[in-house]
Amino acid sequence: MKVITPQGDHVDLMTLNVGPSHPATHGTLRILAALDGETIAGCVTEMGYLHRGFEKMVEQGTYSQVLPYTDRLNYCSAMMNNIGFCKAVEKMFAITVPERCIVVRVILSELSRIIDHMVCTCTNLVDLGALTNFWYFFNTREQVYTIWEKLCGARLTNTMTRIGGMYRDTYHGFEDDVRAVLVKIESAVHEVRGLIEHNKIFIDRTKDVCPVSAADAISWGWTGPCLRASGVDRDLRKDEPYYGYETYNFDTVIGTSGDTFDRIMVRMYEMIESVSIVRQALDRLKPGPINTLDARLSLPSRDQVYHDMEALINSFKLVYEGVRPPAGICYDATEAANGELGYHIISDGGTNPYRVKVRPPCFTQYAAYADMLTGSMLADVASSLGSINIIAGELDR
Amino acid sequence: MIAHRTQIPNGPIQPGFTNEQLVTLLSERFGLTRDASDHWDLTLVCQAEQLRDVVKYLRDEPTLSFAMLLDVVGVDYLAYPGHRSERFAVLYPMKSLVFRHRLVLKVMVDEDACVVPSLFELYKSAEWAERETWDQYGIIFAGHPNLKRLLNHHEFVGHPLRKDYPCQKRQKLSMNDPMIDQLEARLRSLGYTILERGEASVGQAITRPSAVPSALPTAGGKP
Repeated sequence: MKVITPQGDHVDLMTLNVGPSHPATHGTLRILAALDGETIAGCVTEMGYLHRGFEKMVEQGTYSQVLPYTDRLNYCSAMMNNIGFCKAVEKMFAITVPERCIVVRVILSELSRIIDHMVCTCTNLVDLGALTNFWYFFNTREQVYTIWEKLCGARLTNTMTRIGGMYRDTYHGFEDDVRAVLVKIESAVHEVRGLIEHNKIFIDRTKDVCPVSAADAISWGWTGPCLRASGVDRDLRKDEPYYGYETYNFDTVIGTSGDTFDRIMVRMYEMIESVSIVRQALDRLKPGPINTLDARLSLPSRDQVYHDMEALINSFKLVYEGVRPPAGICYDATEAANGELGYHIISDGGTNPYRVKVRPPCFTQYAAYADMLTGSMLADVASSLGSINIIAGELDR
Repeated sequence: MIAHRTQIPNGPIQPGFTNEQLVTLLSERFGLTRDASDHWDLTLVCQAEQLRDVVKYLRDEPTLSFAMLLDVVGVDYLAYPGHRSERFAVLYPMKSLVFRHRLVLKVMVDEDACVVPSLFELYKSAEWAERETWDQYGIIFAGHPNLKRLLNHHEFVGHPLRKDYPCQKRQKLSMNDPMIDQLEARLRSLGYTILERGEASVGQAITRPSAVPSALPTAGGKP
């Protein structure tokens, strides 16, 4: 299209449709860009290709039936979505889960954060042509998935938590497996850092590319690693601690300029902090009950069901009707791998949630994407998209 | 557009106000009342007319500093047991990055007018969040520059998260969104003057009409 630029030049812009898909296929997304040579003069983005109607579906079932759907939000760290939703419902019941359950949830959250950051950074590096890192990280990630498989039988979509506890306790040898994988993670992060941190090609492709200032990031509603890359030291685990995160010794990682380089590096160093949290949590893991004994949430043991009428009725009611949180509006958030994962739950006192609104962290990041790209090069489309970690599952719901 | 200076948090988060202090402060200044259905945190009921003033005050007052609008949440109370007042509500969860306080503003929305003021000029995050709420509930955000569908297809008819939209209802959608109007608006906002429209101004069918079955399977039928 023929335009006059703000500087008064007459130029012929080329409109280019990028997607649906490609930008190294971080999801089915679409960008319509007006190009001045290889520079993006302006662009608009489209989403919704993976919209399944999550929020409509969850209104049709019980609270427990929401859990498998939450797996499909951020499928790179499914356990964190399970934990976030269960924590929100448990807040409505005003119960605290047993100590062992809390520690197991911390371990699973932090391991999920590590594998999520691994997928984000190594696919981002593949977009830049650095394939070797991909194998270092995916080999290690595979070992975490082996632990998931031993824990619950599923790899990608785990549904590991239950409202008021976990699906099951950990298996014999879980601690040893986790300790072994932590060593692998540390060495993988070390090797990948060695390959990229002072790599001229990598630095040229990412330094000062698509920077986002702290003020913009806040106004866009960014949270998590992308906000911290812009230099804002905010992390829900520190600011509004839950599950005893205030008692763990770890640092938040912040960047300075909010460019693609910082967004990758913040994730890289956060993995090391998460390794340290998992080690501390493993030291605290003591035997004990994993599920709450609250009869409103937990199934009674089979022994009780067969010998006690009340327990039989309770079991029947929980299986056929499900849990009934008190009526009202409740918002609860956890620090997921991508940022603040919030669940706004409205209950009418019945067995089905009246309304569940997910606040997916990458929604706000993708909203800013068109602004980030304006004035940058076409080649930066893929690298900057990878660095804000768009997961179509939680973006489109 | 966004004229004020955001306070960039520096150092650890400060305790800030308690929920009771926030209620006292905002009920004295704006007459906001606490929503009784939030037994866990703080939800304040706000009138649509005063929404922008309240939000601007929450954002700019240094002792409050609600710098982040986390989300815009639509609610349809049509099927809510015992609900008597306006059909819709819009919730605005907000948080401060300097202080450890949060609140949710709740605006009740009448079914006939179905309109609330847009917060587009106050928070960048409002732009897409409001588009999504319009898409899902049909609530109009007055003053929003680009109130188009976001999650659903642009040919979609109706607002799927309304309680009277049947869960199993299917719609036939075939044409992609050319988006050229959005791109042109975007370029104009960046200071470009458009002399001649581009080639992409004509949308292209992504499925041949003959390939679309005349009747889609209904609920309960074979998938």
